[in-house]
This record gives sequence, C-alpha cells and structure tokens, in this order.
Amino acid sequence: MHGGTCGRNLAFGLVGAMALAGVAQAETITVYTSYEEDELAAFLEEMKQDLPDLDVDVLRLSTGDLQARILAESANPQHDVIWGWAVTSMVDPRILELLEAYEPANLDRVPARFRDPEGRWFAVTGYMAAFCVNNEVLKAKNLPMPTSWEDLLDPVYEGEIVMPNPASSGTGYLQIASILQMKGEEAGWEYLRGLDKNIAQYIKSGSRPCNSASQGEYAIGASFALRAIKNIAEGYPITMVIPAEGAGNELEANALMASSDNKEAAQRFLDWTLSDRAVDTYYDWKEIVTVSGGAMPENFKAAGLPDDIGSVMWDMDFAWSAENRDRILEQWTAEFDN
Amino acid sequence: MALSGAVARPPRHDRLPIALVTLAVAAPLLLFILYPLAFILGRSFVTETGLGFANYARMLGNERFLGILANSFAVTLVSTVLAVVLAYLFAYAIQRTAIPWKGFFRLVAIVPLFAPSLVQAQGLVLLFGRNGLINRTFDAGIEIYGYWGIVIAMVLYVFPYAFLILSAALAVADARIYESAEMLGAGGARVFRTVTLPATRYGLAAAIFVCFTLVITDFGNPMVIGADYGVLATEVYNQVIGQANFERGTVIGMILLVPAAIAAFGEKYISARQFAVVGEQSRPLAIQPSPGRDAVFTAVVVAIALAILAIVAIVVFASFVDLWPYRMNLSLRHYAFDVQNGIEPLWNSILIGLMAAAIGVVAITASSYMVEKLKSAASRPLYFVSILPAAVPGMVLGLGYILAFNNPANPVYLIYGTLLIIAICNVYHYHAQAFLISSTSLKQISPTFDEASATLGGSRFDTFRKVTLPLLAPTLVGIAVFFFMRSMVTLSAVIFLITPSTQVAAVSVLLLEDRGATNQAAAFSVCIMAVVVAALLLTHMALRLAGFRNVSLIR
Repeated sequence: MHGGTCGRNLAFGLVGAMALAGVAQAETITVYTSYEEDELAAFLEEMKQDLPDLDVDVLRLSTGDLQARILAESANPQHDVIWGWAVTSMVDPRILELLEAYEPANLDRVPARFRDPEGRWFAVTGYMAAFCVNNEVLKAKNLPMPTSWEDLLDPVYEGEIVMPNPASSGTGYLQIASILQMKGEEAGWEYLRGLDKNIAQYIKSGSRPCNSASQGEYAIGASFALRAIKNIAEGYPITMVIPAEGAGNELEANALMASSDNKEAAQRFLDWTLSDRAVDTYYDWKEIVTVSGGAMPENFKAAGLPDDIGSVMWDMDFAWSAENRDRILEQWTAEFDN
Repeated sequence: MALSGAVARPPRHDRLPIALVTLAVAAPLLLFILYPLAFILGRSFVTETGLGFANYARMLGNERFLGILANSFAVTLVSTVLAVVLAYLFAYAIQRTAIPWKGFFRLVAIVPLFAPSLVQAQGLVLLFGRNGLINRTFDAGIEIYGYWGIVIAMVLYVFPYAFLILSAALAVADARIYESAEMLGAGGARVFRTVTLPATRYGLAAAIFVCFTLVITDFGNPMVIGADYGVLATEVYNQVIGQANFERGTVIGMILLVPAAIAAFGEKYISARQFAVVGEQSRPLAIQPSPGRDAVFTAVVVAIALAILAIVAIVVFASFVDLWPYRMNLSLRHYAFDVQNGIEPLWNSILIGLMAAAIGVVAITASSYMVEKLKSAASRPLYFVSILPAAVPGMVLGLGYILAFNNPANPVYLIYGTLLIIAICNVYHYHAQAFLISSTSLKQISPTFDEASATLGGSRFDTFRKVTLPLLAPTLVGIAVFFFMRSMVTLSAVIFLITPSTQVAAVSVLLLEDRGATNQAAAFSVCIMAVVVAALLLTHMALRLAGFRNVSLIR
C-alpha cells in the first residue's frame, strides 16, 4: 500500500547507498560519541590530517540518550567504537559485555587509574562540576559570591539555586556522588537536606542550570565547567565558580565494540585518540585531559581554571559511583523528588 | 438521515474483497504499531529473576508513584478541558462565522505543530520567566515554573491538534436542519445545543482523547517549565534516559496505554449517537454575516492567535538580538550556523516530511475508510490499533522500533537506518491524530450514498472514488500538511532512528542546544519554521496555478 514512485525512488536510493557502502567499507567506521558537537567537529578535522583514508561516521547523542540507544541496539550493534562517553555509563555491566579489550598504541600515556584493569576502556578527557553565577542577579539582589558547596547553605540564596536532577542527568549524579564521597554518606545526606531548602529547581539536564543562570532566571546554576566557559564566551555576565571543596568530575572513555566487523580500522582510530595531535586538540577543548602534553587555552584560565587542574578536582571513586548509583538515586528521589 | 453505525451486512459477493482489503490495511498497522509495542510489553516483564510482574508491583506499590500519577491527572485533565474549549471556539469561528482573515488564522492555529519544541520552551521563559519580558517590564512577580507553567505550555502544544479535529467536525453542515430549527423559533443557543453540538459529538470526543493522550505522554514541557512537578512522562524519561532502566520505563509506558483502551471502548457508545451530516439531499450551510456574533468571535480568535504568536515572535526577535536580554542591539550572528553538515539535515527533514505526507495520506485514508465505512468484525480491533500510538510516548515507540527492526532476520531491516524508516515511524507515531481527523470527516458522510450507488449498480469502489474521496479530499490535504509539519520537528522517537548519514533538522537544533549555543539553536528553529511556511505558500500557489481555487491547505 505504500507503493508508487516514492517507494521506487527510495529503493533506488537504497541500492545506491549499499553500493557506496560496499566500495568504501574497508575504511569506514561508525563511532558513537557524547562529545559536544563543536568539540567533535574540531577533533575530526585534526583526525583527517593524520588518517586521511579513514572515513569516520559519527553519531552524537547526549550521554543518557546514547546509553539507551546502545543498549536497545545491543542485539545487533550498529557502531564500531564508543568515543568520549561517561565512564559511569561505560562500566554498566550491560555495556561492558559488548566491549572487546584492546590496548591502543601509547596506552601507557594514560595513568592506570583512568583505564579499565581488564583493558576494555580508557579515559582521555573529562569534565568537572562548576557553578555558573550570574553577576547581574547577584548585584541586583545584593548577594555574596559563593565559593563552595558549603556557602550554598546560606539562607540568603533561598530559591536562587538550580541544579541538575541526578535521576535524569549524569552531571547531576556526579555532583551528588562527589558530595557523598567528600563528606561521607551520613554528613553528605545531611548536607543535601540543608541544600534542598535553597534549591529552586532540580532541572532534568546537566547544562540547563547554567543556561538558566546565564539568562538571569536564577542567581546560581550548578552545572559543569565547560558550559560556564562557553557561556562566558557567548557574552553572558556570569562567573564560573569551582567549589572549594573540590569539583566532582566525570571521565569520558573510549572503547572498541566486540561486534565490529572492521576492527582494524576501529583500532587505528582508537590509536589516534592517544596521538600527540589528538592530545593537543583535547587540551584546546576539554578542561580535563588525563594525558600529559598540550596546554590549557587562555580563555579557560581567564574563566578561572588553575593551570594545575588536579588541584581543584575531587579524586572521584568511579567504581563506587557506579556500584551505588541505584541505591543513591532511590534514596535521593524518595527524599527530594516527590 | 441514517445512523452511521447501522450499515447493513455486506452482500455475500462483497465479503472476499472486504477481507482482502482488511488484510491490506491491517498488515502495516500490525507491523508498525503492534509489533514494536509487543517488544516494549515484553521488556516490562523482564526482571532479575526471570519474567514476572515484579516491575509492575514495584512501580505501582510505590507511594511516590501514586503522587506522580495524581500530578499527571491534575495537569492532563485541566489542560485538556482548556485546550478543547479554546479550540472549539476557534474552529467554530473559522467554520461557522464570518470573521475576516480566516486563512491567516488557520495558519496561526497550527503554528505549534511546526515550531520546534525549543521555541515554545524558550518563548515561555523569555516572556514569563523570572527574568522574562513581562516580569522585568511590570515587576509582575509571575512564577511560571511549576503546575501552571506546564498547563499553559500544554494547552499551546495540543491546541492545534484539537483545532484540526474540531474544524473537520464543524466544516460540514446541512443547511436544511438549521433552517428548520430557525423556522421552529429556536434561538442561537438552543440551535447550538440541539443541532451543532450533537453533530460534533464524535469530533469533540476525538479531540478530548487526542489532547488527553498528548498531554499525558509529553515529557518536553514538564522538563523545561515544570520545575520539580513530576509527571508520568518525565518519570519514563528518568528511567529510560536518566538511568537506562528500560524495564521500569516500559512499565509506565504500558500504564499509559490504559486511556487508549478506555477510549476504544467508549467510541462505540459515542459513535452510536453520531448522526451523519451530509446525506444525498443535504445542502451546505451558507454563513450569513452577523455583526454582533462576528465581532465576539473575532475578539476570541485574535486573543488566542496573539497568545500563540507572542511565544514564537519573541523567540524570532531574540534570535536577531546580539545577546538577549543583555545586549539588545540587532545582529545576525546567530544565523552564521557552524553546526556539522550545515543545512543538509534540513533537506533530509524535508524529504522525510514529503515521504511521511505521501505514506500518511494513503495509510490514513485506508485505515479510516476501513474502520468507518467497511464495517466488519475487524473494525473495532483496527480502531483500537489505529488510536493506540497516541498513548505511546515517542521515546518508547523509538525504543520499540529498535528492538523490533534492528534485526537482520526482519525484512524491515532492509530500510533500517534510512530516511524511509524515520518517515514511517513518524506516520505511525502520529497515526492516531490523523486517523481521528479523517474519521471525524468520514462520520459526517451518510451511508445512504453507499446504499444509493449499490442500488444503481455501482460498486463500493465507485462510491469511494466518486463520492467519499471528493468529500474527504480537503481533510486529506490537511493530513498531508500535518504529517509534513510534524516530520520537520518531531524528535522523541526519531532520536532512536537517526544515523550518521540520516541527520535531521530537529537534531541539529538539539546538537546546538546541547553544546550551549542556545541562540544559534533558536535561529535554526526559526529557519525550520520559515521552511514550513514557505512550503505551504508554494503548495498553495501551485494548487492555484493548477486550477484548484478553493483548496485550503488547512481545513
């Protein structure tokens, strides 16, 4: 019933596409990533210089969308490589069983604690929690500039703080997990109860709290550093504040799919992600790079990041975050999301 | 005037062709709606200890869940009532009064159908947010985030769907009845209550069903404007996207199907009382100007149109401003798109929109004709399947499509990863809404036509071609437009089906938004809307050149 010319044209198109795919197959791989679109474009441009004969088809989805997509497709995966994707999601046992251990060239550049002991993934970049504080709102409401999570308990901020909902946002979860790790569970939950009194909204995305603060809707949006840096570049009157206790963070890992039928090309790509050129480019775009080399760009420093990023980062226990996720989210939603 | 339900049993020689047609209509419905949903149903029973009801017990036995359920109903019932009342007034003004500029107001009514979801979210915040235009200008202290924010956003979002159905319901009327009523001395209110309202009973029920299911399955509006007001659809999002827990997400997906099941049973009761409006002797109603009535309805229509336009206009305006609300000088900088693939995804979307329009018109004509005119034992089950997708959140449908069709053993796998499967997914995602617009129109066509042509020796096919199709044509044009528009902006199911080579425009908006370039995302959204309006104008002009003078693209 769906016949007619429309169907026929499509059939032709399909045959054409298949033929093309057949010709180029040896050097085409499909990569799923959560790198933001502008970062991705910059990385791919550099990659073309080193690997001109490799066609990389990239699908970019947010961390949560991508996890749903990969799991739903797991009976017949459509991609060869996972690139730049949250470690907390990567260590989901349902994901791990889809991966194949691979030791890329230069793997020793990545400190051991940033890779899977069984070799299934390695993390090269990451992002960290930060507050976006709107200067104009602070001035208009005569509020002090916060410097730490502890400051956010001050009753003057009541109804002026937005943060991501950890049940729907990975950024939200890393913030909660870092607080529970830093303070210990008991004191951590007590802190979250105090913080809850000042929270206007738990927003269901990791970047929207910063955007909301940037637009002047609220004074403070708990989000991540790169969003603050990009919003400052866009011109918004905000200050990036790295919480003094140490910033919770998430790493972005790369992995090879066991199902890939083009492993040789996929491995070349993974090797490239640890090459000098790749690492240099990471430094241009990411606040956390686990491999030494490169230098932090000026606008990152201008926004308030120190040269030694390690000095402001909380040393996250990613295994703990992953193992306790269900339990923490259950308790969190029961207490704060009803 | 005959009851539309009272069609005589088809003569024996008709039965085999009817069975074949039924099969041809049922097959795609089963394949593209029920089959993917079966996988979702299956998933909801998967537990750590094998198959069972543990997920249901766990979700339903949770006090928090009951709160969310209550929230969902509080939002859905109020939004539905408001949207249907406003849409009825709007449709009545368009179809039954002599207000000016009907073509323009029709277009305005359906703007939310082709506005990317970002536009509505941004528009509400820019207008009513804490730092929005109204609060800054008047220091009004309006708090948009929360219950009323969701309701306002939902009413705007579902208004066009209700309008399209009610407009189809009010489009045709038999002048003779109105003349008799007038001769008998009935006043305006009485005529409305005893003639107009009963004649639109089915359309009204359809509009209520469509609004109800759209609101209860939408997670976009509550996510952006709802603050911490949790509803069922955001809980599906939390489970599926936030925590990758398909089992719990699909449980809620299954619970959301209950309204569709109730509606399918209720339909029998409502249809039995629906009179066909257009019989072989009916005369179309000629609208006489009436200054008082027309002034009142013009005011109502202008007020609603302003509300819809204000939201879009402020986003369009902000997209041309250097940095809203801090640097208000005009600038084109947000239109220098530096998103991957540039505007190529826009072409993909247009192609998908055209395919969805073509496939959709055929599919909808077939299924609604089958259910409404070829009454058979299969009609009721087919009706249920036809309206079922309304109750399925797009995210759940998208998941179902992957689980069902990402399988080399399934013939549909041949088109997996192409634009075509996205178009098909769009058609079946919005099948219910289009089906109800079409069946509302079909219900008004009296079955006496079939009987008459049968007596004259004509076949059902002749009647369909010479009588039903011409009467239905204006609605079908509208349905093609509807599928085109939705295809340009829908995201929730599509996101599961796009591949690196089948990127669509709505995803470009999402990519820009996700990387923090919200202003560029708004500018891209404006381009999408401009493309839709341009496509409408071009089609309109092409139809005029081809000699179709009185065809309205939106009924």
